[in-house]
Amino acid sequence: MSGPIVEAQNIRTRLGGAWVHDGVDFRVGRGELVALIGSSGTGKTVLLNELIGLMRPTAGAAQLFGIDISQASLETLNALRRRFGVLFQDGALFSSLTVAENVAAPMREHLALPRALRNQLVEFRLAMAGLPLSALDKRPAELSGGMRKRAALARALALEPELLFLDEPTSGLDPIAARAFDRVVRTLCDSLGLTVFMNTHDLDTLWGIVDRVIVLSAGRVIADGPVAEVARVDEPWIQSYFAAHVPHRGG
Amino acid sequence: MGEQAAASTSWHQSRPDVEGWRLSLRGRWCLEQLAAIDAAIPKLSIPRDAVVVLDAGELKALDSAGAMLLVRRLWQAGVAWPNVRRDALPARHRHLLDLVEQRFEEAALAARPRPNALARLGRAVADGLREIHSRLRFLGHAAATLAETLFKPRHLRPRELFVQLDLVGLRALPIVVMMNFLIGVVVAYLTGIQIQKFGANIFIVDGVSLGVCRELAPVLVAVLVAGRSGSAFTAQIGAMKVADEIAAIITLGLSAFQVLVLPRLIAVILAMPLLTFVGDLAGLYGGMLIADLQLDISYAAFIERLQSVLKLKTVLIGLGKAPFFAAAIGLIACHNGLRVSRDSRSVGLATTATVVQSIVAVIVIDAFFAVLLSELGI
Repeated sequence: MSGPIVEAQNIRTRLGGAWVHDGVDFRVGRGELVALIGSSGTGKTVLLNELIGLMRPTAGAAQLFGIDISQASLETLNALRRRFGVLFQDGALFSSLTVAENVAAPMREHLALPRALRNQLVEFRLAMAGLPLSALDKRPAELSGGMRKRAALARALALEPELLFLDEPTSGLDPIAARAFDRVVRTLCDSLGLTVFMNTHDLDTLWGIVDRVIVLSAGRVIADGPVAEVARVDEPWIQSYFAAHVPHRGG
Repeated sequence: MGEQAAASTSWHQSRPDVEGWRLSLRGRWCLEQLAAIDAAIPKLSIPRDAVVVLDAGELKALDSAGAMLLVRRLWQAGVAWPNVRRDALPARHRHLLDLVEQRFEEAALAARPRPNALARLGRAVADGLREIHSRLRFLGHAAATLAETLFKPRHLRPRELFVQLDLVGLRALPIVVMMNFLIGVVVAYLTGIQIQKFGANIFIVDGVSLGVCRELAPVLVAVLVAGRSGSAFTAQIGAMKVADEIAAIITLGLSAFQVLVLPRLIAVILAMPLLTFVGDLAGLYGGMLIADLQLDISYAAFIERLQSVLKLKTVLIGLGKAPFFAAAIGLIACHNGLRVSRDSRSVGLATTATVVQSIVAVIVIDAFFAVLLSELGI
């Protein structure tokens, strides 16, 4: 198990008559916390959807745990899906369920746990994501944006994934909540041995917790390395991105 | 605390030793095995004040779920965390256990109160009263806005009104014609079978015209409008509420009532009598067709008889009920739309509620009219 956890091999995507990705290549190793950046409209979310098997690249391959997901059978894909968790941009919590039921939903589907044990695990997952237990019986609509993200993180962690995908985890959060969320992600990454791959616009996240940054521009990876190195790359977009003192948030 | 003897399962082994109490973990303490471990180790028999030395020599894997169970068992046995020696563990497991212990404390300290039966009853009653209050408020607000608009007609928004008239009225024509025509056919056909036995064929005209114009067309059109336009009102306004568009309307200095509610309400009140009239015609035509085919009553004979038996009063009663049905549907639909909370699920619930409540309201109003008119002797 020493190969890359996530690997994009020359991914090309054609959407609406234009090439969104024109040969994207990168790999993410076990235990790394990697961020994908790029200006709005460079297809970061599309790339994420391709990596998690919701979309199919026009050419090239997306591999998770060494398995090409566009070639995988449905059973393989579903077995693979138990090994990673996804935090969607707005949480994508099921609005008809309470927070506790949301976190319990994947456990109900995939594990035969006694009820009491499942409830303990749900409470523990919420505590791990930094959510107060008073939120347990609330519906997603009653939560603030930051709480919704944490509840969604708890659901993404429900099945003890090895890999976590985060789509703009700090967008829409105030700086304090965003930094707290970053810390939760870093701690989980360190102590659970999680591999994390995120899309982000948040400079503070990049400087604060990320091991490696991948820059997507004009359909290609134009830089890949630790933040401090990438920030020195002499490229106009990268330079203006890292020169921005007020981080741009949101999609 | 029970006997504190050495214990051993395939998951752990605990025994006293020189430093205190040695707890060796075995196998895979992972999520897939959690139920098995939970059942195999119902509790740890370790004295409260013992120093516990954790040993992971035979531990194959540990994840956060397994760590949670371990911390929980230690906590249940009353072992204080500072007394747990974790030096023998690999660093990764040590960090995981520390994180789990820290988060576990937060989870364990907060107990959740469950509301009892009385509290639930009280909440249900309060919700009911709040609902009535909300409906009355909405009715008052709508009436006040309507009155204000009558005095200041420039506040009426003609563009929205005509868009709604098109949606509610014009586009409902095909289905209204078809449904009423079919009801006319059915009534005439079934009545005709009975009437033929008595040779009273011509009375088909009395039956169909009275039934269609006074009851069937108004109620059927109201049910169609409730299902077609009432649900659309709620869904449109509800979706706007979810996307904060209502808030934007208010922030722009406009009234949600004037922009959203009033055009829909006026449109449905204006369109419903017209649709009902078209429904009358379609129903009568259906009856006429069957009378010709089944009972040999020509169109000319049918229309001649119609002129003598169908009084203007009957038609007007039917058409007169329509605006009341329309007002009920419009008010219920817009109110439910505005009450949607900020999630997509409540839009669906509100839309369903609108259809059910509107149809119930229509039938209740119809019954009220039936009693009122017979008491008045009309």
